[in-house]
Amino acid sequence: MIENFLAGSATLFGDPFTIGIFIFGVLGGMLFGAIPGVSMLTLAAILLPFTADLSPAQGVMLFAVIYCTGTYGGAITAILFNIPGAPENAPTAFDGYPMTQKGMAGKAVGAAVLCSAIGGVASALVMMSATEPLAQWAIMNIGPPEIFALVFFGLAVASSVGGRTIWKGWLSVLLGLLIATIGQDPVGGINRFNFGYSDLAAGIAFVPAILGFFAVSEIFIQAEKNVSGKYSAPKFNVDFPSFLELWAHKIAVVRSIFVGFFCGILPGIGATLAAFMGYGEAVRWSKNKSEFGTGKLEGVISSETANNAATGAAMIPLLALGLPGGALTAMMVAVFQMHDLEPGPLVFYNSPELIWIVFAAMFYANLSILFVGLIETKTILYLLKIPFQFLAPMILMLASIGAYISRGLVLDVIVMFIAGIIGFLLRRSGYSIPGIVLGLILGKIGEQNFAQGMQMVHYDLGTYFSRPICTILIVAGVLTLLKSLHSAFFQKSKAT
Amino acid sequence: MKFNFKKQFSTFALVTGFAATASMSMAGECRVAEASMDKPGGFPDRALTMIVPYGPGGGSGQVAAAMAEAVTGLTGVNINRDHKPGGSGTVGMTAYMAAPADGYNVLEHIDDASSAHALDSSRPNPAEDLIPLVVSQVTFSQIYIRSNETRYTDWPSFVKWVQAQNGKATIANVSKEGSMERVIMKFITEASDMQIQQISFDKGAPRYGALLGGQVDALFEQPGDVRKFLDAGNFKPILTVFNERPGVFSDVPTHKEMGMDFEPLLRFRGFYVHKDAPSDRVDWLKWAFQRAYCEDSYQAFNDSKFMNVIDSYRDTAGAIDMINAAIVQYRDVYKEMGLDVK
Repeated sequence: MIENFLAGSATLFGDPFTIGIFIFGVLGGMLFGAIPGVSMLTLAAILLPFTADLSPAQGVMLFAVIYCTGTYGGAITAILFNIPGAPENAPTAFDGYPMTQKGMAGKAVGAAVLCSAIGGVASALVMMSATEPLAQWAIMNIGPPEIFALVFFGLAVASSVGGRTIWKGWLSVLLGLLIATIGQDPVGGINRFNFGYSDLAAGIAFVPAILGFFAVSEIFIQAEKNVSGKYSAPKFNVDFPSFLELWAHKIAVVRSIFVGFFCGILPGIGATLAAFMGYGEAVRWSKNKSEFGTGKLEGVISSETANNAATGAAMIPLLALGLPGGALTAMMVAVFQMHDLEPGPLVFYNSPELIWIVFAAMFYANLSILFVGLIETKTILYLLKIPFQFLAPMILMLASIGAYISRGLVLDVIVMFIAGIIGFLLRRSGYSIPGIVLGLILGKIGEQNFAQGMQMVHYDLGTYFSRPICTILIVAGVLTLLKSLHSAFFQKSKAT
Repeated sequence: MKFNFKKQFSTFALVTGFAATASMSMAGECRVAEASMDKPGGFPDRALTMIVPYGPGGGSGQVAAAMAEAVTGLTGVNINRDHKPGGSGTVGMTAYMAAPADGYNVLEHIDDASSAHALDSSRPNPAEDLIPLVVSQVTFSQIYIRSNETRYTDWPSFVKWVQAQNGKATIANVSKEGSMERVIMKFITEASDMQIQQISFDKGAPRYGALLGGQVDALFEQPGDVRKFLDAGNFKPILTVFNERPGVFSDVPTHKEMGMDFEPLLRFRGFYVHKDAPSDRVDWLKWAFQRAYCEDSYQAFNDSKFMNVIDSYRDTAGAIDMINAAIVQYRDVYKEMGLDVK
């Protein structure tokens, strides 16, 4: 493995043009990942035709690098302005933005940079050492019932995040699940709650919903404070987290690497579920669950480690089996095909040099996050010095463009503002915005896999429990729910 | 309720299946003589926009990219692809119908547009509300099993095994209501007197992964979409849903050979322009897209997708015939299936 890695590194850095492509991918992924709506997918779609003029290794490598750095890029705006660049950065905003408000933006961004790099590098190392056996294991053991059980397990802790009480947390999650049912049902294609609007047949898109619930509602809240004279600008601070602060969260980092890697290896799942699951597990194992959503460093660490840990893992089913884990890896298939190649088992035998250049590039791309990210952070934090009167319209404009550009639908801008108003009202009443977003994103994934799973087990729910991984996850989820209910009643009885 | 298969699809067979079979030798051949055409009034003097109602990585996204590249290579006119996925193509179609009918906006769509209109006539009719520029991919479906499967190895043993499972056997496909996949599976199961649970996966990767990993027993798909698994020896076709054995699958029996007397429904992908677009611009677009089909880059793409196994080409008239026939026959089938045909 080391010989192959060194050979891949030598090829990568032995040609100035290839180095140029690598640097372009690193910077382009970070930039496009940071702008809401204009994601790394946008960049990849623009670049796709041009990869025909590159060598196969250069083309695939470019997309792999964009995938790594683009996944990280959205964390910065999530932390500084409550605008996640992409759905996989949404959990980062749960605690990242409150940290900014507390004058801890430097710590949050620094942790995001470091943990994205750690998660990505760890994932790349595992990818290099065990791609084929891991892909085979995942494909043999994880089907729709297991993915549904995983989502159920993840949702079971969602009530703890951000709500004033557990009951309000649960109502928030249920609202998210309800919103997730809008549009065609994922198996039969039957329209639900679209009220005759064909654009709603696809459901509520993640990007405008996230922008509305996070960014727009925040603008409204800050505007209200401004009008009532209670507004105070975020304290400017560029202090990065100390080594001891980060070391204190070593378990959270390791846990998120495992969680992110596991989610990333599942075909069709990818980094978004990884980020939410990583965050959820941090909450589950914390002794101070109520602190999550209020500006806890561990929240940022868990989310950003997990989503980048999913990037290397998502390459495993793609390269070993030809199964893309998400939209960007699906576009990588097109890059392969433009060069008369097909990802899958044969590519390891037919084009080993290509595989190892890609592996090496992903390793170095994740390391680049650390260096470029730290430099970027020292400069981008100065945006916080812009007065609210100027910053708010800029954020609203950026969010509106982001909501529109992702699908080119005015409906998405309307959805964003409606979500912003609902988010504003619910936040004032102590409901949880993270809970709603968790319900929305995990609800869509969960419902689809539940319906497919039910078809597979012939609508006999009991058969779910004949599958060991499924059983473990469902039982653990139920226990978490019971514990949560117990806490809720205990809180109530203590209060009375 | 049993279908009267012989009654079904007579027109559709004539227009699609038989036509495709009869012209298998013409697959990939160029049928547009003019190598160039003057731009009418300077049109187009800027890039075209192609609305694609599916994501960039799937079959539609790939054919849209290949055709856009071929048209640009031929004419020098750039094409911006605008992906609007969701609602089984509904979102993209709605957006397209709302776009200016000036010839600068074109649409990629698949046979789902025809079946959607057949189920609900308020949805756009691709043969009347749109003008087909070219249909550039026509393909058939097959049923696949894992190559290392030991419980069954061919279609007869598969049917026998499924019948013994009492409805517990599973097959992965895209079985949304009224889809081509669901209709064909209904024909197959009734003609074979077997019950099989269809598991609907709307994305390719989980669908293929389900068969690779043994989560399902078989897969319903078109050969171009699983070519890499065929080349790698992971999957093996055991039934071709087409009237004749295509050359590259000469060892795979057709449904008719296995005693199923229905005419196959085909998957087709094409490019359209709004019916109200200026006629001289439409003529130029027809030439550009039909001639681009002949470009080496597009032919190489179709070859890589098994799309030249049968004749994939339909000009405007041929496409209209195929769409009209498909709509009539889908509507008849839906009524017999008891669906709410509007």
